[in-house]
Amino acid sequence: METKTSKNVLIDASRIITEALVQSGADVFIGYPITPSNLFYSYSKLRFPQFLAGPDEISVLQWMSGFSAAGKLPVTATAFPGLALMTETLNMAYMMELPMVLIITQRLGPSTGSATTGAQGDLKFLDGVISGGMPLPIFSPSNFNDAWTLAHEAAKTAIKFRTPVILLTSKEMVMTQKSFDISTLEPLEPIDRSIKPYEKPYQTYKAGADKVPVFLPLANELEQVRFNSSTHNNLGLIGKNDAESLGNTWRLKEKLETRIDEFTFYEYDAQTDAKNLVVSWGISADAARDAVANLRKNGKKVSLLIAKTLLPVPPKIYEIIDQYEEITFAEENMTGMYKEMLYGKRQSTQIKVATKFGMMLSPSEIIEKI
Amino acid sequence: MLSGLTFKILTVETQEKILTQVKMPFCPGCGHGISTRSISEALEQLGYGTKDVSIVSDIGCAGLVDPLFATHSIHGLHGRSPALGVGVSLGIDNPKKKTIVIQGDGGATIGLQHILEAARRNIDMTLVVFNNMLFGMTGGQMSGLSTNEFKDYKQSADEADPYDVVQLAHTAGAAYTRRVNHIANFTPALKEAIATPGFSLVELASLCTSYAMKKVSEYQEYIVEEEKFLNDRPVGHLPLRQTKPLIENMKGLDALFANNLDGRIGILIAGSAGGGVQSAAQQLAQAGILAGLHSTMKGEYPITVGTGFSIAEVILSKDPIHYTGLEKSDVALIITEDGFKKVKDLLAPQTKVWIDDKAEIESNYTQKGFSKAGGKKGAALSAIAYWLNESGVFSPDALLKVVENHKYAPELQQAINSYKLV
Repeated sequence: METKTSKNVLIDASRIITEALVQSGADVFIGYPITPSNLFYSYSKLRFPQFLAGPDEISVLQWMSGFSAAGKLPVTATAFPGLALMTETLNMAYMMELPMVLIITQRLGPSTGSATTGAQGDLKFLDGVISGGMPLPIFSPSNFNDAWTLAHEAAKTAIKFRTPVILLTSKEMVMTQKSFDISTLEPLEPIDRSIKPYEKPYQTYKAGADKVPVFLPLANELEQVRFNSSTHNNLGLIGKNDAESLGNTWRLKEKLETRIDEFTFYEYDAQTDAKNLVVSWGISADAARDAVANLRKNGKKVSLLIAKTLLPVPPKIYEIIDQYEEITFAEENMTGMYKEMLYGKRQSTQIKVATKFGMMLSPSEIIEKI
Repeated sequence: MLSGLTFKILTVETQEKILTQVKMPFCPGCGHGISTRSISEALEQLGYGTKDVSIVSDIGCAGLVDPLFATHSIHGLHGRSPALGVGVSLGIDNPKKKTIVIQGDGGATIGLQHILEAARRNIDMTLVVFNNMLFGMTGGQMSGLSTNEFKDYKQSADEADPYDVVQLAHTAGAAYTRRVNHIANFTPALKEAIATPGFSLVELASLCTSYAMKKVSEYQEYIVEEEKFLNDRPVGHLPLRQTKPLIENMKGLDALFANNLDGRIGILIAGSAGGGVQSAAQQLAQAGILAGLHSTMKGEYPITVGTGFSIAEVILSKDPIHYTGLEKSDVALIITEDGFKKVKDLLAPQTKVWIDDKAEIESNYTQKGFSKAGGKKGAALSAIAYWLNESGVFSPDALLKVVENHKYAPELQQAINSYKLV
């Protein structure tokens, strides 16, 4: 049996994510420089088959939408100030059902805040970022291996479900360098983008049982396509409150929620007889891993859940959490946004939060809360 | 300018109808219907088929056009269609296909930057601005293209002069820009624009019978005179590139050196921008891998990269490192006052601290001549090598190995070896 030789390097996750996206078949990076997503910009300039420097955030996502409608898979990387300006176009791309990947590197807010300080403060904004309550797939890597696999899954989900997908990272996740054995990164196959069989006459937004319409690009020679960001019927023409058009809008929610098992990612380290569960995500997950290891070393029984598909919330997450008497959420924000997303703002003795604002949450700060 | 154009030879059999049979949705007498038909005529006369054309539209009365075209279409956000069109055109990247963007004067005002950017890049697309000098769908408010005369007539409070979008796009670099006021000239002008490779813009005067005048003859008194400009520039493209993998070709760092570390150690290096702190810390982390350790390197600096403090945290560990923060620093190497001010509150009683003796810092910490030995840019490396030698965690030779193929190898090696002079 062939054994792989390890190859240790000092590397950051920006490089890993960029390479993973290109290997997965992403065609073009369109961006503008913003801290702490700068490394994505510079790596993408070297690596993507096409690279385009946008003049502003709105143009970037509009250009990406054009590329996507033409059959390309575009990628950008930004931070909250950029995301805020992209929001209307993000809704447009979502409504048009255009595949694309947005990397959001969280930094300390509000507003321009501290651009070079990490955070996990954009989750609740993303929870409602699509007007109307539709979910947007949000994946959050918790380490370098996740960075590789979730970047691939983000591209895959974008194409498979015809949707923008967000890869939610943070400054320390994508800028801190770590020793890492790159031989553990398996080569990635480009996502299949062949045209699927479709029912004639073709209608841009007519979906079958899988609830995802077959994608054909602009300028194709087979069928007329009509993309539309306003409420539209199956043909892609504006429809106002008719059943077909409203059904199309409902379908945006259903296609993701009914098939969420196909993109549910998490890490569950269960300990037998544990009544306590630590729940974390993104950059705080490693602190949670250390905290749980320390607690176990000292005889405490505790389980660990790292959420990687943050939105829509997979039922599996609730299923795991419901098995425990006491849950501690570990996050680098002011209030515990993931906790609030699952449970609201109401305080409870069973539901605790270990949070940190303006600095990384440490393992000892998590342990203090348990 | 137009000499390179090719026109298909059309016959009745080959010519496709660009417009659908859908009834025009515009108000009676609205100028948008004529503009829409003129675009269709121009495309048909140039020989474009329905699958050759992508209509990009946005919001407002002009945004009602997409169902009228039997072509591909994409209907987006108010004012953003020129930007969407840039993506469509570059994404299709086929000179036989045509991207036609249609927006009103309100949209052109909202998305003026997008128009200038498309013109600057000379993207192969045609933008047609239906200028009825107002926002028709929301009640006839003035736009950035409403003329002063029209604003006076409408008793607008806005006294700012209007944009000349034709002139602006020309100045930004558009291949072809033209304002057309007379209906008879619409189709010929559109044909010229569409047939011109690169970015073309045609502003068409359009009567709004609901909020402007009822007669074209009256309306003509309020419009700007026709104008036409050409720029002979290369068409903007986005070429496909062959690129090299980012990870596969990285040089592995094999464990060539011994280490004497038990557990984990956190090293804080604090200096000023331009002092080589970040690169020295990175080299320490790489040297740690060469010594068979796990390592992390985290940088912190103000957004003004070239000034102020520059802090780096390096963790070296026997075991894999998860959490990359530094709960406490075991070692602090302070190079400048800026660095000290930033980290002084993070120094624990057990932290072993060395401070460069040139830094004007009042403290009881040990001072050493790192910058005297290594120079301003080499002080951080000198301090790191000094600490490695003092602590015996691993040999400074691992640092020398890291920099051996660096383009500034001699200078870096000198800085590392300078620890012997400290």
